Amino acid sequence: MTSSIPGAISDIHLVAPVADGQWTMPTGDYGNTRYSPLHQINTSNVQNLHVIRKLSTGIFRGHEGAPLVVGGTLYIVTPFPDKLIAVDLTRPGFPVKWTFQPNPDPSAQGKAFRDVVNRGATYADGRIIYNTLDGYTVAVDAKTGKLAWKTQIGDVQNGETLTMAPTVVHNIVFVGNSGSNFGVRGALTALDAQTGKILWKAYSTGPDSDVRIGPDFKPFYAKDRGKDLGVSTWTPEQWKRGGGAVWGSISYDPELNLIYYGTGNPGGWNSSMRPGDNKWTVTIWARNPETGMAKWAYQIEPHDSFGYDAVMENILVDMPWHGRMRKLLIHPGSTGYVFVMDRETGELLSAQPYEPVNWAKGFDLKTGEVIPNLTKMPRYGKYVDDICPSVTGAKAIASSSLSPQTGYLYIPAHNTCMDFEDTTANYITGTPYLGAIVRTYPGPGGYQGELVAWDVAHAKKVWSIKDNAFPVNGGVLTTGGGLAFYGTMDGSFRAVNDRTGKVLWQFKTPSGIVGNPMTFTGPDGKQYIAVYSGIGGWMGSVDFPYITASDPYAAHGAAGAMRHIKSATHPGDYLYVFGE
Amino acid sequence: MSSASRYIAGLFLAAGTAWLCGCHTAPIPPPVATGSHPTGANEAFYRTNPVGNDPVGVADGRRLFRWYNCYACHGPHGGGAIGPSLRDRRWRYGDSDAQIFTSIAEGRPNGMPAWRNKIPEVQIWELVAYIRTLDTSREPNPPQEPANEASRDPKESTSIAPEKPNATAGRQ
Repeated sequence: MTSSIPGAISDIHLVAPVADGQWTMPTGDYGNTRYSPLHQINTSNVQNLHVIRKLSTGIFRGHEGAPLVVGGTLYIVTPFPDKLIAVDLTRPGFPVKWTFQPNPDPSAQGKAFRDVVNRGATYADGRIIYNTLDGYTVAVDAKTGKLAWKTQIGDVQNGETLTMAPTVVHNIVFVGNSGSNFGVRGALTALDAQTGKILWKAYSTGPDSDVRIGPDFKPFYAKDRGKDLGVSTWTPEQWKRGGGAVWGSISYDPELNLIYYGTGNPGGWNSSMRPGDNKWTVTIWARNPETGMAKWAYQIEPHDSFGYDAVMENILVDMPWHGRMRKLLIHPGSTGYVFVMDRETGELLSAQPYEPVNWAKGFDLKTGEVIPNLTKMPRYGKYVDDICPSVTGAKAIASSSLSPQTGYLYIPAHNTCMDFEDTTANYITGTPYLGAIVRTYPGPGGYQGELVAWDVAHAKKVWSIKDNAFPVNGGVLTTGGGLAFYGTMDGSFRAVNDRTGKVLWQFKTPSGIVGNPMTFTGPDGKQYIAVYSGIGGWMGSVDFPYITASDPYAAHGAAGAMRHIKSATHPGDYLYVFGE
Repeated sequence: MSSASRYIAGLFLAAGTAWLCGCHTAPIPPPVATGSHPTGANEAFYRTNPVGNDPVGVADGRRLFRWYNCYACHGPHGGGAIGPSLRDRRWRYGDSDAQIFTSIAEGRPNGMPAWRNKIPEVQIWELVAYIRTLDTSREPNPPQEPANEASRDPKESTSIAPEKPNATAGRQ
């Protein structure tokens, strides 16, 4: 257990080493803090930050995720067609060394619900490992760019794609699928990192044997206990189109030897088609990495009626909670709540809203049950208005960051609400399985985005930086220099004093920022900060030329909230590297 | 019965009769030579839409646009989502009746599925008829925003964080 972070608040212990000059996994570290202790760039000199290199990927779609830095090489994964670009940091101008092209099936572009994004790669044992949109995991030799192995995870013709960045633990590659909105059955697949052979698959719906629930399964709450709930909480056969895809990040606690992740929304936004709790969608899982067997599960929202998910990051940290040290899991949900859990047992310790929320009245910590607001339940053929947050979420997949120096979680937040109407949903293989019409708009308060600094121990917002027009849809990086870095949807990349929220530096990049910033030490010993500038993802797609932004129902309703995006920014394809 | 409907009914009758006696008993328009096609897909049998502007056909096309999940990729009013907008003037694969028919029937390489042999051809023509009304005065159900949303228009201004004057000057 690592705790010796210089400048860290005493009693905050991280579960694993953080990114300290390299960036070898998509989340920075197993605990998903996205914190780096590098402090050459700090509050007293950050105003000198300037562009060192601007690299074009050639693809004008959403650049989510972050590049990796391993030794003297930086690795970029582009949006579809998922090229892997290796950049030589040892030579002036950071030239491109080689490009690996997996040549994914172009028809996969018609199965990507949230834009043809790729959330990045991970590094393990001399290979760069990442996923392609058409459903393959590839391992590429990190030096030569040659393919080492390629394994098919799912059939893209059924609407099953891969967008998430894998994580490797103990030589096992963890890959989660996408496609809840195509009625695909969610699953986490484990592969051997050397050979790519599939070791096991843990489905998000179905009988216990498919879900990998056995005698060691100890959910904290009674509502999550029972046999084959992944079948019995559905109408017959509906679990086969059950969704619960696994398109977010994986966390890992080396001491407890548990991986953590969450599952997405159920198949079909029209919840009246699927009476029952719909397990195990919108659920946070703790599993043994070798066997995949579940240790505990907590379903945040049974019978989801709004398209919400539980795939957002799970940040692992040990800190005092109400007077005693506890092993925490912090989950800033797209549902609008910051969930704080005990990651040993799955007990819910706190659920507090970080943005306006009205789909629920709160959570009962004793039973773990959500207290729904029944007046917001959708209806068939009629809109229910003013549901907050929108199906697009109080945050998107761009990741928050936790600084052990401040004890704050920095959340890139959305304040977007929606009108929602249930309609008929027909399941046609390979087409979206929705059954709802949505339109979105900014929530109350006169702003649509915020960078929120959330005091974890006290479960409250301490400060925020508001954006009137657009959600904050890019991720956050915190550093030992006392800085938090984040980007806005109109392309401003900012360095902020992590204690006070004062903006100390900003730079306008040409396109909206939807990726996660990262930092590394170059071969020259200097610290650099890198971030993609390339708008996209769900809300960002309204900026694309082929979307009619004046139709509020376009982009599955996101056009309503994003109607001014085309005058604020335009699509881009850049990686920006900043330095002193 | 509108003339277009009678025309189609007549075709089906003719086709049925031809099957029975093994010969053509009614005139059938000749196939149209349409030249080479970028994707090599078969071109539509008819150059123009036999459903034409028939409002019954358009209304049915609108129903089918929901029923077959077209709305789920192209937006409930065709504004685009996973698939491109059908309301704008950009048509990657052409905007003639036959080209739109072919896009639906044969699919296209970047994600449009093929519907020939899955749904009847007359329904594909009805979808074409509905799509042609989008963003025109004939659109049966244009995307209107309800009055209660007028006040929710997000402000045009961007973030309120102050610009630092020396942050970007001269540095690229």
